[in-house]
Parts: sequence; C-alpha cells; structure tokens
Amino acid sequence: MNEVKSLFYRESLLEKLHEIQNSYGYIPEIEIENLAEKYMLPRANVYGVISFYSMFYTEPTGKYIIRICDSISCHLNQSDSVLNAVKSFLNLESHQTTEDKKFTLEIVECLGHCGEGPVMMVNNKIYKKVNKNTALEILNNCL
Amino acid sequence: MLRTEIDGIKIDLDEKMSILEAAKKAKINIPTLCYEDGLSIYGGCRLCVVEVEGEELLKPACATEIKAGMKIKTHSKKVRELRKNLFELIIATHNIDCQLNCLTCSRASNCELKEIAEDIGVSKMRLEPIKRGDSVDNSSYAVIREPEKCISCNRCIRKCEEIQSIGIFTTANRGPETVVTTFKNRGLGNVECTNCGQCILSCPTGALHELYQKDIVLDILNDESKHVVVQTAPAVRIAISEPFSNQAGDIATGQLITALKRLGFDAVFDTNFTADLTIMEEGTELIERIKSGHRLPLFTSCSPGWIKFIEHFYPEYLDNLSSAKSPQQMFGALAKSYYAREKGIDPENIVVVSVMPCTAKKFEAKREEMAGDVDYVLTTRELASMIKSAGIDFLNLEKSEYDELLGVSSGAADIFGTTGGVMEAALRTAAEIITGTELKKIEFEKLRGLEGIKKAEIEIDGLKLKAAVANGLGNARKIMEMIKAGEEFDFIEFMACPGGCMGGGGQPISCDDNILEKRQKALYKIDKNKKLRKSHENPYIKKLYDSYLENPGSEIAHKLLHTKYKARKI
Amino acid sequence: MIQEKLYLKGDKLLDIYGYEFKAIKNALKLGRENTIKKVKESELKGRGGAGFPTGIKWEMAADIKAEQKFIVCNGDEGEPGTFKDRYLLEERPLKVLEGIMIAAYAVGADKAYIYIRGEYSKAIDVFLKTIEAARKEKILDDYFEGSDFKLELKLIRGAGAYVCGDETSLINSIEGKRGRSRIKPPYPIEKGLYNQPTVVNNVESLCCTAEILNPDSEEFSQLGIKGSRGTKLLCLSGDLNKPGLYEVEFASVTLKEIIYDLGGGLKEGENLRFVIPGGISTAIIKSENLDFPYSYQDFEKRGNSLGSGAVIAVSKKHDLLDLMLNVSRFYMDETCGTCFPCREGNRQINKILKSFKNDGKKIDAELVSDIGNTIRLAARCGLGQSSLNFIISVIENYQTDLEIGGKLYA
Repeated sequence: MNEVKSLFYRESLLEKLHEIQNSYGYIPEIEIENLAEKYMLPRANVYGVISFYSMFYTEPTGKYIIRICDSISCHLNQSDSVLNAVKSFLNLESHQTTEDKKFTLEIVECLGHCGEGPVMMVNNKIYKKVNKNTALEILNNCL
Repeated sequence: MLRTEIDGIKIDLDEKMSILEAAKKAKINIPTLCYEDGLSIYGGCRLCVVEVEGEELLKPACATEIKAGMKIKTHSKKVRELRKNLFELIIATHNIDCQLNCLTCSRASNCELKEIAEDIGVSKMRLEPIKRGDSVDNSSYAVIREPEKCISCNRCIRKCEEIQSIGIFTTANRGPETVVTTFKNRGLGNVECTNCGQCILSCPTGALHELYQKDIVLDILNDESKHVVVQTAPAVRIAISEPFSNQAGDIATGQLITALKRLGFDAVFDTNFTADLTIMEEGTELIERIKSGHRLPLFTSCSPGWIKFIEHFYPEYLDNLSSAKSPQQMFGALAKSYYAREKGIDPENIVVVSVMPCTAKKFEAKREEMAGDVDYVLTTRELASMIKSAGIDFLNLEKSEYDELLGVSSGAADIFGTTGGVMEAALRTAAEIITGTELKKIEFEKLRGLEGIKKAEIEIDGLKLKAAVANGLGNARKIMEMIKAGEEFDFIEFMACPGGCMGGGGQPISCDDNILEKRQKALYKIDKNKKLRKSHENPYIKKLYDSYLENPGSEIAHKLLHTKYKARKI
Repeated sequence: MIQEKLYLKGDKLLDIYGYEFKAIKNALKLGRENTIKKVKESELKGRGGAGFPTGIKWEMAADIKAEQKFIVCNGDEGEPGTFKDRYLLEERPLKVLEGIMIAAYAVGADKAYIYIRGEYSKAIDVFLKTIEAARKEKILDDYFEGSDFKLELKLIRGAGAYVCGDETSLINSIEGKRGRSRIKPPYPIEKGLYNQPTVVNNVESLCCTAEILNPDSEEFSQLGIKGSRGTKLLCLSGDLNKPGLYEVEFASVTLKEIIYDLGGGLKEGENLRFVIPGGISTAIIKSENLDFPYSYQDFEKRGNSLGSGAVIAVSKKHDLLDLMLNVSRFYMDETCGTCFPCREGNRQINKILKSFKNDGKKIDAELVSDIGNTIRLAARCGLGQSSLNFIISVIENYQTDLEIGGKLYA
C-alpha cells in the first residue's frame, strides 16, 4: 500500500515532460534518458509515451507554435481559408517548422472555443473568430 | 465451481479463467493473433471476439473472464462475419502488393496470418493495401526488421519487456501512424538490443528475422579455393528436424552431419568439442578464483545475448565474467590455427561457418575482440531452409559421424544446449579435478528442469559451492539484483534465452506443444547414451593440450581462447 | 423566448474567501451514505457523454474496501464542438473544486486528481490558482472545517490526445503511460489509478453534484422529467446566429427550439440541413426531425444520444463529403492505435472517402457497413465504438445525394 502512496506523490511523468518541453521547446534525448532512469523505464518506452501526445516534440520547434483548429465547428466557419493562408504565408505544412526556427505549424483538433471559431492559438494565447487577414496580422506581429 | 456453456457444450470449471482458456478445455479453437502464452494480455487484435448471450457488443475471449452461467458462442454468424471483415482490415496493413512477397517472406512456410485466414475462412479482399513506406531496418548484425510487414500486435514488445526485461521496442505515435519501433526509430543495431532474437520467435509475421547469411554460405561452398568447415551447436541437432517433421524432440545428429556433407562442407565438426574445451578453461578459472577468492561469483560467458546484456546493464560486473571465449569462438580460433597446422592448410583459405540456435552468435562473430575466428553464422532455421532448397530428403537421410580432431565430444558438451547444462558439465569436471576421485553420480538433478532461476549448494570434498542458473534475461536481471543486494554466489550460469540455447532465437519457430520440454529431454538423452560424459575425459581434448595448447590457462590458450568485454552505454 | 436556467452558470465567484462551500458542508452534515443517496435520487447521469448514473458509480466505489481510493475529475474535454467544461473550469472553478470534494468525501477517497487537457492553458492557470488558494485556506490538505474529511488534489495537464477523455485512457495518462484504453472489466471503480478503486467523473457532472447537495438549489434535482433530471449545458456552434454556451432544463425545450430560439436560427441566407446533436460521435438528425424534447430518453428512442452536449448546426451550403472527411480524419488521427478494428477501420474509411473525392471511386455502402459494424461491435473503448456514428448516419440519410451504391445495413 505504501507503494501506491509513493506512486501518488511521485511527480507525474506527464508533468515532467511538460516542464522539459516548455524549457527547451522540445524534449532532448538526454532528458529522455534521464527520465527513463528516474522512472525506471526503458528509454524506448518513454519515447513511446512522448510520441503519443501531440504537444510533445522530440525535435526542436519554432519559437511560436501556431495551432489552427480544423475540427468540425471551426471547419464550418471556414477554418480552411485561415489554414491555407497561414500555410502559404509560412510556407509550411502541418507539423513543420520554419528554417529560422521561428514558427511551427500545427493543424489541430478542437481547441474548445467552438462558438467563436475559427480559432487559432499562438503558444498559449487563444485568438478567436480569426479570418485569413487577422491570422496573417497575428503572425506579422510575431515577426 | 463454475458452470457455463460454450457453443452448446456445457462445461464445469474449477477455477477462474478466460473465455479463451475455457474454450480450449472444450476443444474449441478461437483464432488469436496478439495473444501469446506467457505474455500479458494485450486485447488489441480483437480476432478472438465472441458473442456472450445477452450482450450486443462482442467480447475478446483472451481478456474476458468467464462467469458462471455465461452462454458463449465462439463461431456464430455474427462472429464469423466480423472476423472476416476484421481480417481484411489487418491484412491490408501487411505489405500485400503481391510482388510474390508471400513466397519470399521469411515465414513463407509457417505464416501465422495464413493459418488464421484458413481458420476463419477468409474468402475475399476488398480493401486496398496500406503503404507506410517504412524502410527495412538492417542496422543490426543479428536481427532484421521489416516494418512494412508489422501489424502492431505488440508481441515483440511484450516479449522483450516482460520476458527479457530489456524493452528495446515500443509503440510510437498514435492513430494511423502507430508503429512498433525502437528508441527514436534508431534501429536494432543502435540500441541496447542483446540480439537474443526472442522477438523473432514471437512475431506472427515476417517482420522480424535474422540477418541471413545462407546465400553467402552457398556461394562460398561453390568456391573451390576455399576450405569450408562447419561447426554445429549442441541445440541444433535436437531441433533441426522440426521444420521437416513438425514435431519437437527428435534427435537428428547423424542426419544433420550427412546433410551438411551433401551441402558441400569440406569438414563437419562439432561445437561440442569446444564446449568440452570451454569446460577445461572455464573450470580451471573457477578453481583458481575459488582458491584465491577473487572476482567471485564467476559468470559463464557462452551466451552472447547475456554478454551484451551485462555490457549494457551491469558493466560494473564485467570482471566476474569468465574470460573464456564461447565455444563457437574457440572453435573458430582453433580451426584457423590448430586444425590448419594439423592438416597443412593455409589458414587464409579456411572459412569457418557455424550453425547456431542463436541470432546473437551472428553479432558475436562480428565482435572486434574476436573478429576473424568465425566467418559466417547460420541459424538452425537458415540451415533447414538450405537443406530444403538443396532437395535433400532430410528425414530419410542415412546417418554420418562428425569428422575427427574437432568432432568428438562428451555428453557434458551436449547438455550445453539446455539451461543448467554448462553448470552441470563444469561441475562434473571441477569436482573430479578438485577431489582427484571419480564422481559417483554425475547428474546434478537440482540444476535440471526449466525453472527460470535454479539455486543449489554443491558440496565437493568439503568445499561448499553456491551455484545458480538463470535462463531468460529477465531472470538474469533478477540474479544480478540479488547479487547487488548482497546475496553471495560462487558460480552462476547465465543464458539469454528461456530454456537456454535450445530455446534460442535462431531455432525453428514453434510447430508443436511443449517444445522446450521435448528438446530438453532429447539433450539429456544424448548425454545419457554417450560413453564419454565428462569433458576432461575427451581424448581429443587431451590430445589438443598435449600437442598444442600445453595446459588450460597457458599463454597460448589465453591468446586463442580467452577475451575481454567492454562496457556499453544504454 | 426560452429562458435559460442558471445553476451551473450561476453565482460566478472566483474569490475563495467569499465562496461558502455550502454543498460540501451539507454533505458532511448528511454523512456519506445520505450524500450518495441524494445523488442517486437526483438521477444524475454522467455528463461526459456515456451517461452512466453518477450515484450508482459512487455507491459501488464506496462499497469497495480499499486503503486507497482516488477521485479523478475528467477535464480532458476534446469532443469537437464541446466547450462547457472549459467554461466551468475557467469561470466556475470553485464549484468544480466543491464537486471533487463531495465525490471524494462520498466514496471515501483522500486523494484526487484533476486532469485538464493541455490546450486549455487558461483553465489550467485558473485552476492551479484555485488549488493554491484552497491549500492556503486549509480547504485542501487539511481536515475540512474540523471534520474528519481531508483531501489532497493534484492537477495534471494533458498533452494533446483526444482519446485520454476515455476514463481508462485518462488513468493511463496520469500514470505517465501512453493514453490507450484499458480492457474493461475490471472497471476503474474496482481497479483504476495504480490499480486502486477510482471514480472518474466529468467536470460538469461534478458541478451538478455541487448543485444537488447545495441547500440553496434544492429544486435542481426536481428539474426536468424522470430519467432526465437537472440542467444541461449546451454548446451551440456551427452555422448559427447566436452560438455559445447555454444552460437549459431537461425536457423543457425541443432540439428545434435550441436551434431556432436559443441559437438564433441559421445565419442569414442559409438553410439548415441537419444537426449534430451531441458532438461528432453522435448520429446526425435531419432538419425536419428536430421537434422533440431535449432529454436522454427522447434521444434514446431515436437510437441516438445527447453525447457531450455539443449541438452543431450544419447548413445546406456545405459539401457532405467534405464534412465526412473532416470527421473521418479526426477519428483516424485520434485513435490510440491499440485495437485493430478502430485503428485500421478508421484508416480505411478515410481512404475510401478520399478516393471517392479525389478519383471519383464509388463508395460501396456494404463495405462501409462491414467496417462500421466491425468497429462498433469489436473496438476496445467507447471512442472506437462510436467513431463511425456520424459518417454512417450521413450516408444513411443522403445515400442518393452522395451517389453511394450498395446496401447500408449497419
């Protein structure tokens, strides 16, 4: 039973991964190996966990991670036009990062602002009711 | 007691079990794919789903505990239709472009998917194949992976993690990108893989197989300028007939030798010979270490999967390893020195091929510490395939004998093929050397059997020897942790594969029940029927020392027969 | 005009000093058994989508003897079209906290987790502050108001995986594993987090329990009709004039009123084709069939479900195939990848739809039904089982429009 309690108090691997992701912009190999040791897991296993979640990266990401929702509610409100505008502005497809490591583009599923779509997220900040013009404006402000 | 009904058959059960196990008792076969005896339940393939009366959704038989009063239909129309549809979905991910890939597959003759297709009566294929575009992973000297054939049943992952305690495989990504892979998709040659090949035995498809050398060996056999000698490991003779007869436990030493001669090898020798030699060298080392009390416990060093394991995970214990090379490597070293001299052949022209129950031996032969001793390593499976493709009627072959000089061995060498065998062989010799008197009983029953860890205290002339035997790397890890925790041993035999070499990753893929028991019985039978049962009594070993190696542990013996290992990063 | 019923949306209060915790205090006064009894009597059903009676879940968990039990608040809202839990976490965090405390007290758990999806950064910030304040005020981590009830609460951020909304996947995720579903049984109430009895409740469900136990909103449990009690948060989106979050009393409004009254009808010049009534894991309802009361049983009668409460209006201007592809991509990308029917079935459906769109390759309804049936009957978790509801229902209703051949049976 003490084992269960100590597990409960153990810092969650997921939270630890968030911390690393936030400080490096990705999860470097050495950190995966450290976590594997700390949690007594094969490093392949930790890699498997990381790769399951779309907010974790094993390669460096851009300074700004641009997430554009294309789930049904945003899609009904022309998220595809926002998406296409951003794609061609950044010259990126989803899951790609610009060479200058400024932007990473992610087409994502529902961000939970479905009544105010299309929705776009720049790092932690939500932008609602964007259209292709406002979206590009937001990107320009990042430059 | 639990009363249930499966397909109208009433059965009473005494204990809790899954629907799958209960159906087996009722002599009903339910198709499975991700299920494997001895591994945790995965419940992913869903082929074993059955209908439980009163429930609309189907239940996976492997993962559903049978309850009293359950009425189960394992082959109703609903279930059969669903399995067929499911099979279409599965097979679409299995690289079926019909470029004859079924015929060229490593599992052409024993494809589990094909068996399942037959069992469920697949009659149509309406889906287009899925192409993932993954390239073959040939980064390893031992195990090759063809991810395009992988259906993600996770058996390799579970085998590696649960039985071998390594965990080099993982499921990565999710959704349609879900794949089985290694750490950061590095490839098997670039991670902490021990090359044991147990994953190959678990794979239901041809996604995992050994690095093939059979074609190169066939080419070399056609090269007149080369003198090609072959050695066969103890565990090969009791498994080589399985792909021909589909039954385990037959002894086919004589047919094996004949087949190798027919294939064109210039001399057919026995790794058993150098197994006897290993006992002389390792036994001497053991006696010396016990006398001096240094670097105990002594660890055996014949299993290359175990060697790589300790290099990766317990490098601080490398000094405990016996410095004796494995029998395969000793053989290679002798073939190119002693044998060459005796026969007057230029060592440059000698090619050493070995037939091993093992995939890790392929890696061992490539180790820089002993490069050149052995040139090519074939698995038991590869040899069976060569025999088939040479049109040799293996089961009806006449028997032959091994060539002399490096071909005569004691029964102690034969049992190297099973867990506990090296220990028993070593004790037969060490006891007699220490006491100077003949052992009354040479069978060490406590060291026999298939348990993962066996411990015994053996008394030799007042000397108490704490011995342990571990098979399977998961058990090896347990013993290492016991040592770390302070438990004391003198001598430990480690084998990477469950059951020892007879259960090696290069052995024929299971075609029978209880193969390990049957193979083990066969090995002990060979030993029992031999007149010569102790390594130190082998006259050819005596001759070798008299005319070449001087005595165990001599300078020349060290040069040829001993080595060192190094720490590796995880 | 339809009036909203403001309970869950009521008393916006972010200041913990002003919040009275009346519901948990009442629960402590009633005792565990009576608290559970009250929740059972309220007929509260889980608001995450599956609709399992909350009181029964609690009762079963309370009856299990274990040294350690866990409460997990499921804030991994990810069903497209749904944003009610985000609203509650951002705007009514104290009510969520109180709901967690009630649940923990009722089943006898002294440790709880709240799992909030990683994309909800504001909700995470708000709730972290709430936990911090509650610790400081000895509402958490200490015996509450001199009672024998003490609770520890930790927040775990999800990391971008829809499937973690499934309770067993969520448990795996908290344990630091891949968020794949577990085989049930055993259910979490028997063996959940770290194999201990665990109750997983949705954010909205827990807020409802805070209403049920609050003496000030005694009438909450009487709202609606038998089988559908209390209020429901509706997330209106799509082609509506007034999308947004609304709270309605069960069975007091029809789906039609929800669209045309609360939602303000369709945007100018557009005509309704169908409604997705409870997120994309539910089957569509054609515009002419909306005139029925919003209640669990009325949906059930129609072989449908009110799901997560995401009501999405879809006008005639959209291309059906495009929408099917959108939903199909969602499920294909979001399956955990463990069970073959869901992983391969959704991949194949996407492939079939794509080759129809790109190469004009006709869709065979029978093949789609075969795949649909395979997923529905044999997939491992609820996500998989319901993944084709939308697509199959679109084909069912518009087979001729889409020029799809063959017989649909699933």
